[in-house]
Amino acid sequence: MEMKARLSSDVPKRLGLTILMLVLAIAMVIPFLWMISTSFKTPAQVFEYPIKWIPSAPTWEHHVKVWTGPKSFGTYYWNSLKISIIGMAGATFLSAFAAYGFARIQFKGRNALFMLYLSMMMVPPQVLFVPKFLMFEWAGIYNTHLALILPGLFTIFGVFMLRQFFLSIPNEITESAFIDGAGHFRIFFRLILPLAKPALATLAIIDFSWQWNDYENALVFLIDEELYTVPLGLQNFILENTVDYNGMMAAASAGILPMIAVFAIGQRYIIQGLTNSAVKG
Amino acid sequence: MTNNWMKKQRLLGYIFIGPSMLGVLLFFLIPALYSFGLMFTNYKFMNPNVEFVGLDNIIRLFKDPMFYLSLKNTAVFLLAVPVSIALGFVVAVVLNQKIYLKKLLRGLYFMPYITSGVAVAFVWMLLFHPTQGPINGMLRSIGIDNPPGWLSTTTSSMFAIDIIWVWFLLGYNMIIYLAALQEVSPELLEAAKIDGAKRGQILRKIIWPLVSPTTFLLLITGLIMTIKTFGIIQAITHGGPGNSTTILSLYVYQNAFRYYDMGYASTLSWALFIVILLITLVQWIGQKRWVHY
Repeated sequence: MEMKARLSSDVPKRLGLTILMLVLAIAMVIPFLWMISTSFKTPAQVFEYPIKWIPSAPTWEHHVKVWTGPKSFGTYYWNSLKISIIGMAGATFLSAFAAYGFARIQFKGRNALFMLYLSMMMVPPQVLFVPKFLMFEWAGIYNTHLALILPGLFTIFGVFMLRQFFLSIPNEITESAFIDGAGHFRIFFRLILPLAKPALATLAIIDFSWQWNDYENALVFLIDEELYTVPLGLQNFILENTVDYNGMMAAASAGILPMIAVFAIGQRYIIQGLTNSAVKG
Repeated sequence: MTNNWMKKQRLLGYIFIGPSMLGVLLFFLIPALYSFGLMFTNYKFMNPNVEFVGLDNIIRLFKDPMFYLSLKNTAVFLLAVPVSIALGFVVAVVLNQKIYLKKLLRGLYFMPYITSGVAVAFVWMLLFHPTQGPINGMLRSIGIDNPPGWLSTTTSSMFAIDIIWVWFLLGYNMIIYLAALQEVSPELLEAAKIDGAKRGQILRKIIWPLVSPTTFLLLITGLIMTIKTFGIIQAITHGGPGNSTTILSLYVYQNAFRYYDMGYASTLSWALFIVILLITLVQWIGQKRWVHY
Protein backbone atom coordinates (compact mmCIF):
# COMPACT_ATOMS: atom_id res chain seq x y z
CA MET A 1 0.00 0.00 0.00
CA GLU A 2 2.63 2.45 1.09
CA MET A 3 4.72 1.47 -1.90
CA LYS A 4 1.87 2.25 -4.27
CA ALA A 5 1.21 5.62 -2.71
CA ARG A 6 4.83 6.55 -3.02
CA LEU A 7 4.93 5.50 -6.64
CA SER A 8 1.90 7.50 -7.66
CA SER A 9 3.15 10.61 -5.88
CA ASP A 10 6.41 10.17 -7.80
CA VAL A 11 4.78 10.50 -11.19
CA PRO A 12 4.14 14.27 -11.22
CA LYS A 13 7.68 14.94 -10.02
CA ARG A 14 9.09 12.64 -12.65
CA LEU A 15 6.98 14.23 -15.33
CA GLY A 16 8.01 17.71 -14.22
CA LEU A 17 11.70 16.87 -14.32
CA THR A 18 11.32 15.21 -17.70
CA ILE A 19 9.59 18.23 -19.20
CA LEU A 20 12.20 20.61 -17.75
CA MET A 21 15.07 18.53 -19.11
CA LEU A 22 13.34 18.12 -22.46
CA VAL A 23 12.98 21.88 -22.84
CA LEU A 24 16.67 22.38 -22.06
CA ALA A 25 17.63 19.53 -24.40
CA ILE A 26 15.68 21.13 -27.22
CA ALA A 27 17.54 24.37 -26.52
CA MET A 28 20.76 22.38 -26.99
CA VAL A 29 19.79 21.23 -30.46
CA ILE A 30 18.26 24.53 -31.56
CA PRO A 31 21.29 25.40 -33.72
CA PHE A 32 20.65 22.25 -35.75
CA LEU A 33 16.92 22.92 -36.00
CA TRP A 34 17.50 26.53 -37.01
CA MET A 35 20.02 25.43 -39.63
CA ILE A 36 17.62 22.96 -41.24
CA SER A 37 14.68 25.33 -41.05
CA THR A 38 16.67 28.21 -42.57
CA SER A 39 17.96 26.07 -45.40
CA PHE A 40 14.36 25.72 -46.64
CA LYS A 41 13.44 29.41 -46.33
CA THR A 42 13.66 32.35 -48.68
CA PRO A 43 16.24 35.10 -48.03
CA ALA A 44 13.54 37.41 -46.70
CA GLN A 45 12.49 34.87 -44.09
CA VAL A 46 15.97 34.16 -42.64
CA PHE A 47 15.93 36.63 -39.79
CA GLU A 48 12.19 36.91 -39.27
CA TYR A 49 11.37 37.23 -35.63
CA PRO A 50 9.60 35.46 -33.98
CA ILE A 51 11.15 32.47 -35.68
CA LYS A 52 8.88 30.42 -37.90
CA TRP A 53 10.31 26.95 -37.49
CA ILE A 54 8.38 25.50 -40.38
CA PRO A 55 8.62 27.92 -43.29
CA SER A 56 5.34 28.80 -44.98
CA ALA A 57 6.57 27.91 -48.47
CA PRO A 58 9.58 25.60 -48.11
CA THR A 59 11.97 25.65 -51.03
CA TRP A 60 14.61 23.15 -52.14
CA GLU A 61 16.37 25.81 -54.17
CA HIS A 62 19.32 26.26 -51.78
CA HIS A 63 19.99 22.57 -51.43
CA VAL A 64 19.90 22.26 -55.21
CA LYS A 65 22.42 25.10 -55.47
CA VAL A 66 24.76 23.44 -52.99
CA TRP A 67 24.68 20.11 -54.77
CA THR A 68 24.58 21.19 -58.39
CA GLY A 69 26.29 24.57 -58.40
CA PRO A 70 29.62 25.19 -60.16
CA LYS A 71 31.38 23.92 -57.03
CA SER A 72 29.24 20.99 -56.14
CA PHE A 73 29.41 19.40 -52.72
CA GLY A 74 29.55 16.06 -54.54
CA THR A 75 33.30 16.47 -55.06
CA TYR A 76 33.89 17.49 -51.44
CA TYR A 77 31.81 14.55 -50.26
CA TRP A 78 33.73 12.10 -52.37
CA ASN A 79 37.07 13.50 -51.12
CA SER A 80 35.96 13.41 -47.50
CA LEU A 81 34.54 9.91 -47.78
CA LYS A 82 37.69 8.61 -49.45
CA ILE A 83 40.00 10.13 -46.84
CA SER A 84 37.84 9.28 -43.83
CA ILE A 85 37.08 5.71 -44.82
CA ILE A 86 40.64 4.75 -45.76
CA GLY A 87 41.94 6.50 -42.66
CA MET A 88 39.36 4.91 -40.40
CA ALA A 89 39.94 1.38 -41.71
CA GLY A 90 43.72 1.69 -41.61
CA ALA A 91 43.82 3.37 -38.22
CA THR A 92 41.51 0.80 -36.65
CA PHE A 93 43.46 -2.16 -37.95
CA LEU A 94 46.93 -0.78 -37.26
CA SER A 95 45.88 0.31 -33.77
CA ALA A 96 44.53 -3.16 -33.02
CA PHE A 97 47.75 -4.72 -34.27
CA ALA A 98 49.95 -2.47 -32.15
CA ALA A 99 47.65 -2.66 -29.15
CA TYR A 100 47.91 -6.45 -29.20
CA GLY A 101 51.70 -6.19 -29.19
CA PHE A 102 51.65 -3.82 -26.25
CA ALA A 103 49.00 -5.69 -24.29
CA ARG A 104 49.77 -9.36 -24.79
CA ILE A 105 53.41 -9.87 -25.81
CA GLN A 106 56.40 -9.56 -23.49
CA PHE A 107 59.29 -8.19 -25.50
CA LYS A 108 62.35 -6.16 -24.75
CA GLY A 109 61.88 -2.40 -24.69
CA ARG A 110 58.10 -2.64 -24.64
CA ASN A 111 57.62 -0.27 -21.74
CA ALA A 112 60.08 2.27 -23.13
CA LEU A 113 58.26 2.27 -26.46
CA PHE A 114 54.96 2.65 -24.71
CA MET A 115 56.32 5.65 -22.83
CA LEU A 116 57.27 7.13 -26.20
CA TYR A 117 53.63 6.76 -27.30
CA LEU A 118 52.50 8.40 -24.07
CA SER A 119 54.83 11.34 -24.50
CA MET A 120 53.80 11.86 -28.14
CA MET A 121 50.23 12.26 -26.98
CA MET A 122 51.26 15.44 -25.20
CA VAL A 123 52.75 17.04 -28.29
CA PRO A 124 50.13 19.43 -29.69
CA PRO A 125 49.35 19.26 -33.41
CA GLN A 126 50.57 22.85 -33.72
CA VAL A 127 54.13 21.66 -33.06
CA LEU A 128 53.81 19.16 -35.89
CA PHE A 129 52.16 21.28 -38.59
CA VAL A 130 55.27 23.16 -39.69
CA PRO A 131 57.68 20.20 -39.92
CA LYS A 132 54.99 18.02 -41.52
CA PHE A 133 54.30 20.75 -44.05
CA LEU A 134 58.02 20.93 -44.91
CA MET A 135 58.40 17.15 -44.99
CA PHE A 136 55.33 16.68 -47.20
CA GLU A 137 56.50 19.45 -49.50
CA TRP A 138 59.85 17.66 -49.78
CA ALA A 139 58.25 14.26 -50.34
CA GLY A 140 55.90 15.64 -52.99
CA ILE A 141 52.69 14.78 -51.18
CA TYR A 142 51.81 18.32 -50.06
CA ASN A 143 48.54 19.35 -51.66
CA THR A 144 47.53 15.74 -52.32
CA HIS A 145 45.13 13.55 -50.41
CA LEU A 146 48.05 11.43 -49.25
CA ALA A 147 49.03 14.29 -46.94
CA LEU A 148 45.81 13.56 -45.00
CA ILE A 149 45.46 9.83 -45.59
CA LEU A 150 48.95 8.71 -44.52
CA PRO A 151 49.04 10.43 -41.11
CA GLY A 152 45.38 9.50 -40.70
CA LEU A 153 46.35 5.82 -40.64
CA PHE A 154 47.91 6.27 -37.23
CA THR A 155 46.12 7.17 -34.05
CA ILE A 156 47.83 7.01 -30.69
CA PHE A 157 44.47 7.32 -28.94
CA GLY A 158 43.34 4.18 -30.79
CA VAL A 159 46.34 2.17 -29.60
CA PHE A 160 45.62 3.26 -26.03
CA MET A 161 41.97 2.50 -26.20
CA LEU A 162 42.37 -0.97 -27.69
CA ARG A 163 45.31 -1.85 -25.46
CA GLN A 164 43.06 -1.10 -22.52
CA PHE A 165 40.44 -3.41 -23.96
CA PHE A 166 42.88 -6.23 -24.77
CA LEU A 167 44.27 -6.08 -21.24
CA SER A 168 40.77 -6.69 -19.93
CA ILE A 169 40.44 -9.99 -21.84
CA PRO A 170 41.28 -12.76 -19.34
CA ASN A 171 44.62 -14.48 -19.92
CA GLU A 172 43.11 -17.96 -19.67
CA ILE A 173 41.40 -17.50 -23.00
CA THR A 174 44.64 -17.07 -24.90
CA GLU A 175 46.86 -19.20 -22.69
CA SER A 176 45.19 -22.48 -23.59
CA ALA A 177 45.46 -21.64 -27.29
CA PHE A 178 49.11 -20.82 -26.74
CA ILE A 179 49.72 -24.17 -25.07
CA ASP A 180 48.05 -25.87 -28.02
CA GLY A 181 50.71 -24.31 -30.18
CA ALA A 182 48.85 -21.39 -31.68
CA GLY A 183 51.14 -18.44 -32.36
CA HIS A 184 50.39 -14.80 -31.71
CA PHE A 185 49.15 -14.22 -35.25
CA ARG A 186 46.58 -16.95 -34.94
CA ILE A 187 45.50 -15.83 -31.51
CA PHE A 188 45.18 -12.25 -32.71
CA PHE A 189 43.12 -13.00 -35.80
CA ARG A 190 41.08 -15.96 -34.53
CA LEU A 191 40.50 -15.13 -30.88
CA ILE A 192 41.18 -11.52 -30.03
CA LEU A 193 39.77 -9.68 -33.04
CA PRO A 194 36.37 -11.43 -32.89
CA LEU A 195 36.16 -10.71 -29.15
CA ALA A 196 37.12 -7.09 -29.74
CA LYS A 197 34.41 -6.35 -32.31
CA PRO A 198 32.53 -3.82 -30.15
CA ALA A 199 35.75 -2.04 -29.21
CA LEU A 200 36.83 -1.97 -32.86
CA ALA A 201 33.45 -0.58 -33.89
CA THR A 202 33.77 2.12 -31.23
CA LEU A 203 37.20 3.18 -32.40
CA ALA A 204 36.13 3.09 -36.05
CA ILE A 205 33.15 5.36 -35.40
CA ILE A 206 35.07 7.84 -33.27
CA ASP A 207 37.93 7.93 -35.74
CA PHE A 208 35.58 8.40 -38.67
CA SER A 209 33.92 11.37 -37.00
CA TRP A 210 37.30 12.94 -36.27
CA GLN A 211 38.47 12.47 -39.83
CA TRP A 212 35.22 13.71 -41.30
CA ASN A 213 35.30 16.84 -39.12
CA ASP A 214 39.01 17.45 -39.55
CA TYR A 215 39.33 21.00 -40.77
CA GLU A 216 42.74 21.95 -39.41
CA ASN A 217 44.87 19.41 -41.30
CA ALA A 218 42.97 19.96 -44.53
CA LEU A 219 43.48 23.70 -44.10
CA VAL A 220 47.22 23.27 -43.74
CA PHE A 221 47.89 20.58 -46.33
CA LEU A 222 45.48 21.24 -49.23
CA ILE A 223 45.31 24.18 -51.64
CA ASP A 224 43.53 22.98 -54.77
CA GLU A 225 39.80 23.36 -54.62
CA GLU A 226 39.08 20.05 -56.31
CA LEU A 227 40.92 18.33 -53.44
CA TYR A 228 38.89 20.05 -50.70
CA THR A 229 37.14 18.02 -48.05
CA VAL A 230 33.67 18.95 -46.78
CA PRO A 231 34.80 21.36 -44.01
CA LEU A 232 37.06 23.25 -46.41
CA GLY A 233 34.46 23.20 -49.17
CA LEU A 234 31.96 24.58 -46.71
CA GLN A 235 34.29 27.40 -45.76
CA ASN A 236 34.90 28.12 -49.41
CA PHE A 237 31.17 28.24 -50.09
CA ILE A 238 30.68 30.66 -47.23
CA LEU A 239 33.51 32.94 -48.32
CA GLU A 240 32.05 33.10 -51.82
CA ASN A 241 28.41 33.51 -50.78
CA THR A 242 28.75 35.90 -47.86
CA VAL A 243 25.16 37.06 -47.92
CA ASP A 244 23.44 33.88 -49.06
CA TYR A 245 22.46 32.77 -45.59
CA ASN A 246 20.02 30.12 -46.83
CA GLY A 247 22.71 28.64 -49.05
CA MET A 248 25.13 28.65 -46.13
CA MET A 249 22.71 26.72 -43.99
CA ALA A 250 21.97 24.26 -46.78
CA ALA A 251 25.73 23.75 -47.12
CA ALA A 252 26.14 23.37 -43.35
CA SER A 253 23.33 20.79 -43.36
CA ALA A 254 25.17 18.89 -46.05
CA GLY A 255 28.27 18.89 -43.84
CA ILE A 256 26.52 17.84 -40.64
CA LEU A 257 23.98 15.33 -41.94
CA PRO A 258 26.41 12.38 -42.26
CA MET A 259 27.55 13.01 -38.69
CA ILE A 260 23.97 12.98 -37.47
CA ALA A 261 23.48 9.65 -39.24
CA VAL A 262 26.68 8.23 -37.75
CA PHE A 263 25.58 9.51 -34.36
CA ALA A 264 22.13 7.96 -34.63
CA ILE A 265 23.54 4.58 -35.61
CA GLY A 266 26.62 4.49 -33.44
CA GLN A 267 25.68 6.47 -30.34
CA ARG A 268 25.89 3.43 -28.08
CA TYR A 269 29.40 2.56 -29.25
CA ILE A 270 30.63 6.11 -29.04
CA ILE A 271 29.40 6.56 -25.49
CA GLN A 272 30.88 3.23 -24.45
CA GLY A 273 34.23 3.99 -25.99
CA LEU A 274 34.52 7.48 -24.57
CA THR A 275 33.51 6.45 -21.06
CA ASN A 276 35.79 3.41 -21.02
CA SER A 277 38.82 5.35 -22.14
CA ALA A 278 38.09 8.18 -19.71
CA VAL A 279 37.09 6.30 -16.60
CA LYS A 280 39.65 3.53 -16.86
CA GLY A 281 42.35 5.35 -18.74
CA MET B 1 56.86 -26.42 -27.66
CA THR B 2 60.51 -25.43 -27.66
CA ASN B 3 62.20 -22.52 -26.04
CA ASN B 4 63.19 -21.35 -29.47
CA TRP B 5 59.57 -21.11 -30.53
CA MET B 6 58.72 -19.11 -27.42
CA LYS B 7 61.54 -16.74 -28.20
CA LYS B 8 60.35 -16.28 -31.75
CA GLN B 9 56.86 -15.59 -30.53
CA ARG B 10 58.23 -12.88 -28.30
CA LEU B 11 60.07 -11.26 -31.17
CA LEU B 12 56.73 -11.05 -32.98
CA GLY B 13 56.04 -8.16 -30.59
CA TYR B 14 58.15 -5.95 -32.83
CA ILE B 15 56.19 -7.00 -35.89
CA PHE B 16 52.91 -6.22 -34.18
CA ILE B 17 53.87 -2.73 -33.13
CA GLY B 18 56.14 -2.15 -36.14
CA PRO B 19 53.68 -0.55 -38.56
CA SER B 20 52.20 1.71 -35.93
CA MET B 21 55.68 2.58 -34.68
CA LEU B 22 56.67 3.61 -38.19
CA GLY B 23 53.77 6.06 -38.23
CA VAL B 24 54.66 7.41 -34.81
CA LEU B 25 58.25 7.97 -35.98
CA LEU B 26 57.31 9.57 -39.30
CA PHE B 27 54.38 11.71 -38.22
CA PHE B 28 55.14 12.41 -34.56
CA LEU B 29 58.69 11.89 -33.32
CA ILE B 30 60.68 13.09 -36.35
CA PRO B 31 58.47 16.16 -36.94
CA ALA B 32 58.69 16.99 -33.23
CA LEU B 33 62.49 16.86 -33.28
CA TYR B 34 62.53 18.80 -36.55
CA SER B 35 60.33 21.48 -35.05
CA PHE B 36 62.57 21.67 -32.01
CA GLY B 37 65.51 22.36 -34.30
CA LEU B 38 63.61 24.99 -36.29
CA MET B 39 63.09 26.95 -33.09
CA PHE B 40 66.75 28.02 -33.25
CA THR B 41 66.68 29.16 -36.88
CA ASN B 42 65.25 32.09 -38.79
CA TYR B 43 63.84 29.81 -41.48
CA LYS B 44 61.19 31.41 -43.63
CA PHE B 45 59.45 29.19 -46.14
CA MET B 46 60.83 29.53 -49.71
CA ASN B 47 63.69 31.67 -48.42
CA PRO B 48 66.97 29.81 -48.95
CA ASN B 49 68.91 31.84 -46.41
CA VAL B 50 68.63 29.89 -43.21
CA GLU B 51 70.73 30.84 -40.26
CA PHE B 52 71.18 29.51 -36.81
CA VAL B 53 69.99 32.32 -34.57
CA GLY B 54 70.40 30.78 -31.15
CA LEU B 55 67.84 32.04 -28.70
CA ASP B 56 66.66 34.99 -30.79
CA ASN B 57 63.21 33.49 -31.37
CA ILE B 58 62.74 32.86 -27.68
CA ILE B 59 63.79 36.42 -26.81
CA ARG B 60 61.44 37.69 -29.50
CA LEU B 61 58.63 35.68 -27.98
CA PHE B 62 59.08 37.25 -24.58
CA LYS B 63 59.01 40.71 -26.16
CA ASP B 64 56.05 40.00 -28.43
CA PRO B 65 52.89 41.74 -27.15
CA MET B 66 50.81 39.50 -29.45
CA PHE B 67 52.15 36.47 -27.60
CA TYR B 68 50.84 37.84 -24.32
CA LEU B 69 47.53 38.81 -25.87
CA SER B 70 47.18 35.32 -27.32
CA LEU B 71 47.89 33.84 -23.89
CA LYS B 72 45.23 36.05 -22.36
CA ASN B 73 42.72 35.07 -25.04
CA THR B 74 43.60 31.43 -24.47
CA ALA B 75 42.90 31.89 -20.76
CA VAL B 76 39.48 33.36 -21.54
CA PHE B 77 38.81 30.49 -23.94
CA LEU B 78 39.70 28.01 -21.19
CA LEU B 79 37.00 29.46 -18.91
CA ALA B 80 34.54 27.49 -21.01
CA VAL B 81 35.93 24.24 -19.61
CA PRO B 82 34.95 24.55 -15.91
CA VAL B 83 31.61 26.08 -16.89
CA SER B 84 30.74 23.18 -19.17
CA ILE B 85 31.91 20.72 -16.51
CA ALA B 86 29.60 22.29 -13.93
CA LEU B 87 26.65 22.24 -16.33
CA GLY B 88 27.49 18.72 -17.44
CA PHE B 89 27.45 17.63 -13.81
CA VAL B 90 24.05 19.18 -13.15
CA VAL B 91 22.54 17.59 -16.26
CA ALA B 92 24.04 14.21 -15.38
CA VAL B 93 22.69 14.34 -11.82
CA VAL B 94 19.20 15.13 -13.06
CA LEU B 95 19.31 12.48 -15.79
CA ASN B 96 20.42 10.01 -13.14
CA GLN B 97 17.12 10.55 -11.26
CA LYS B 98 13.92 8.74 -12.00
CA ILE B 99 12.94 10.43 -15.21
CA TYR B 100 11.21 9.51 -18.46
CA LEU B 101 12.84 9.46 -21.91
CA LYS B 102 16.28 9.07 -20.36
CA LYS B 103 17.95 7.74 -23.50
CA LEU B 104 16.46 10.32 -25.81
CA LEU B 105 17.49 13.15 -23.47
CA ARG B 106 21.00 11.81 -23.12
CA GLY B 107 21.28 11.62 -26.89
CA LEU B 108 20.06 15.19 -27.40
CA TYR B 109 22.54 16.65 -24.89
CA PHE B 110 25.35 14.60 -26.37
CA MET B 111 24.62 15.43 -29.99
CA PRO B 112 26.64 18.65 -30.34
CA TYR B 113 29.82 16.95 -29.16
CA ILE B 114 29.78 14.23 -31.76
CA THR B 115 28.28 16.00 -34.76
CA SER B 116 29.99 19.34 -34.57
CA GLY B 117 32.91 20.42 -36.52
CA VAL B 118 33.40 23.61 -38.38
CA ALA B 119 29.99 23.27 -40.02
CA VAL B 120 28.10 24.14 -36.88
CA ALA B 121 30.41 27.07 -36.18
CA PHE B 122 28.93 28.74 -39.25
CA VAL B 123 25.46 28.18 -37.86
CA TRP B 124 26.49 29.93 -34.64
CA MET B 125 27.97 32.75 -36.68
CA LEU B 126 24.49 33.51 -38.02
CA LEU B 127 22.74 32.88 -34.71
CA PHE B 128 25.06 35.49 -33.18
CA HIS B 129 24.48 38.02 -35.96
CA PRO B 130 24.50 41.31 -33.98
CA THR B 131 21.67 43.17 -35.70
CA GLN B 132 19.45 40.51 -37.20
CA GLY B 133 20.44 37.25 -35.51
CA PRO B 134 17.79 35.23 -33.69
CA ILE B 135 19.68 35.39 -30.38
CA ASN B 136 19.60 39.16 -30.28
CA GLY B 137 16.08 39.08 -31.67
CA MET B 138 15.05 37.08 -28.65
CA LEU B 139 16.97 39.35 -26.26
CA ARG B 140 15.28 42.43 -27.72
CA SER B 141 11.88 40.83 -27.46
CA ILE B 142 12.38 40.32 -23.73
CA GLY B 143 13.29 43.98 -23.35
CA ILE B 144 17.07 44.08 -23.66
CA ASP B 145 17.50 47.02 -26.01
CA ASN B 146 21.27 46.88 -26.37
CA PRO B 147 22.16 43.22 -26.66
CA PRO B 148 25.86 42.33 -26.96
CA GLY B 149 27.58 42.39 -30.34
CA TRP B 150 28.80 38.81 -29.78
CA LEU B 151 31.38 37.90 -32.43
CA SER B 152 31.45 41.42 -33.86
CA THR B 153 33.06 43.40 -31.02
CA THR B 154 36.51 42.98 -29.50
CA THR B 155 35.18 42.87 -25.94
CA SER B 156 32.54 40.20 -26.46
CA SER B 157 33.97 37.98 -29.19
CA MET B 158 35.98 35.65 -26.95
CA PHE B 159 32.94 35.13 -24.72
CA ALA B 160 30.77 34.31 -27.70
CA ILE B 161 33.32 31.64 -28.63
CA ASP B 162 33.15 30.43 -25.02
CA ILE B 163 29.40 29.94 -25.34
CA ILE B 164 29.89 27.81 -28.44
CA TRP B 165 32.57 25.83 -26.66
CA VAL B 166 30.48 25.25 -23.50
CA TRP B 167 27.68 24.03 -25.74
CA PHE B 168 30.07 21.72 -27.56
CA LEU B 169 31.76 20.17 -24.48
CA LEU B 170 28.71 19.87 -22.24
CA GLY B 171 27.54 16.56 -23.66
CA TYR B 172 30.91 14.92 -23.27
CA ASN B 173 31.18 15.97 -19.63
CA MET B 174 27.65 14.76 -18.98
CA ILE B 175 28.35 11.33 -20.49
CA ILE B 176 31.46 10.83 -18.39
CA TYR B 177 29.66 12.00 -15.23
CA LEU B 178 26.77 9.65 -15.93
CA ALA B 179 29.23 6.75 -16.01
CA ALA B 180 30.83 7.96 -12.77
CA LEU B 181 27.43 8.33 -11.05
CA GLN B 182 26.68 4.71 -11.85
CA GLU B 183 29.58 3.79 -9.58
CA VAL B 184 28.21 5.66 -6.58
CA SER B 185 26.84 2.96 -4.31
CA PRO B 186 23.08 3.17 -3.82
CA GLU B 187 23.46 1.72 -0.30
CA LEU B 188 25.54 4.71 0.71
CA LEU B 189 22.88 7.13 -0.54
CA GLU B 190 20.15 5.13 1.14
CA ALA B 191 22.09 5.20 4.42
CA ALA B 192 22.52 8.95 4.17
CA LYS B 193 18.80 9.38 3.55
CA ILE B 194 17.95 7.27 6.56
CA ASP B 195 20.30 9.40 8.64
CA GLY B 196 18.21 12.37 7.59
CA ALA B 197 20.54 14.01 5.09
CA LYS B 198 18.85 16.50 2.79
CA ARG B 199 19.06 16.26 -0.98
CA GLY B 200 21.45 19.19 -1.25
CA GLN B 201 23.63 17.80 1.50
CA ILE B 202 23.85 14.42 -0.20
CA LEU B 203 24.83 16.11 -3.43
CA ARG B 204 27.46 18.35 -1.85
CA LYS B 205 28.85 16.10 0.85
CA ILE B 206 28.63 12.68 -0.75
CA ILE B 207 28.18 12.70 -4.50
CA TRP B 208 30.42 15.62 -5.40
CA PRO B 209 33.43 14.30 -3.41
CA LEU B 210 32.88 10.81 -4.77
CA VAL B 211 33.02 11.98 -8.37
CA SER B 212 35.98 14.29 -7.75
CA PRO B 213 38.40 12.04 -9.66
CA THR B 214 36.11 12.38 -12.68
CA THR B 215 35.87 16.13 -12.25
CA PHE B 216 39.62 16.36 -12.12
CA LEU B 217 40.07 14.18 -15.17
CA LEU B 218 37.49 16.18 -17.15
CA LEU B 219 39.17 19.41 -16.16
CA ILE B 220 42.61 18.29 -17.29
CA THR B 221 41.55 16.62 -20.53
CA GLY B 222 39.16 19.48 -21.30
CA LEU B 223 41.86 22.11 -20.78
CA ILE B 224 44.36 20.25 -22.95
CA MET B 225 41.87 19.62 -25.71
CA THR B 226 40.73 23.24 -25.69
CA ILE B 227 44.27 24.57 -25.81
CA LYS B 228 44.96 22.58 -28.97
CA THR B 229 41.83 23.77 -30.79
CA PHE B 230 41.75 26.60 -33.27
CA GLY B 231 39.60 25.33 -36.13
CA ILE B 232 36.29 26.89 -35.19
CA ILE B 233 37.93 30.22 -34.41
CA GLN B 234 39.89 30.28 -37.65
CA ALA B 235 36.72 29.37 -39.53
CA ILE B 236 34.41 32.06 -38.18
CA THR B 237 36.54 34.96 -36.94
CA HIS B 238 40.09 34.36 -38.29
CA GLY B 239 41.23 35.61 -34.88
CA GLY B 240 39.32 38.88 -35.14
CA PRO B 241 37.83 41.40 -34.76
CA GLY B 242 41.15 43.06 -34.14
CA ASN B 243 43.10 40.24 -32.57
CA SER B 244 40.46 39.63 -29.95
CA THR B 245 40.05 35.91 -30.66
CA THR B 246 43.63 35.10 -31.60
CA ILE B 247 44.42 32.35 -29.13
CA LEU B 248 47.93 30.91 -28.89
CA SER B 249 47.25 27.88 -31.10
CA LEU B 250 45.80 30.14 -33.79
CA TYR B 251 48.74 32.52 -33.47
CA VAL B 252 51.06 29.59 -34.21
CA TYR B 253 49.02 28.80 -37.32
CA GLN B 254 49.07 32.42 -38.49
CA ASN B 255 52.84 32.75 -38.11
CA ALA B 256 53.41 29.49 -39.93
CA PHE B 257 50.96 29.69 -42.79
CA ARG B 258 50.12 33.36 -43.15
CA TYR B 259 53.63 34.82 -42.62
CA TYR B 260 55.56 31.60 -43.39
CA ASP B 261 57.80 32.44 -40.44
CA MET B 262 58.58 28.81 -39.64
CA GLY B 263 61.25 29.46 -37.03
CA TYR B 264 59.12 31.74 -34.92
CA ALA B 265 56.00 29.58 -35.42
CA SER B 266 57.95 26.60 -34.09
CA THR B 267 59.03 28.60 -31.05
CA LEU B 268 55.43 29.58 -30.34
CA SER B 269 54.30 25.99 -30.76
CA TRP B 270 56.77 24.88 -28.09
CA ALA B 271 55.41 27.56 -25.79
CA LEU B 272 52.05 25.88 -26.34
CA PHE B 273 53.65 22.55 -25.51
CA ILE B 274 54.96 23.99 -22.24
CA VAL B 275 51.48 25.14 -21.25
CA ILE B 276 50.23 21.59 -21.87
CA LEU B 277 53.17 20.18 -19.93
CA LEU B 278 52.34 22.42 -16.96
CA ILE B 279 48.73 21.25 -16.97
CA THR B 280 49.91 17.65 -17.09
CA LEU B 281 52.25 18.27 -14.15
CA VAL B 282 49.37 19.72 -12.19
CA GLN B 283 47.52 16.52 -13.01
CA TRP B 284 50.30 14.32 -11.66
CA ILE B 285 50.68 16.29 -8.46
CA GLY B 286 47.04 17.11 -7.97
CA GLN B 287 45.73 13.62 -8.47
CA LYS B 288 47.17 12.70 -5.11
CA ARG B 289 46.39 15.89 -3.29
CA TRP B 290 43.05 17.26 -4.41
CA VAL B 291 41.05 14.22 -5.23
CA HIS B 292 38.94 13.09 -2.30
CA TYR B 293 37.32 9.73 -2.28
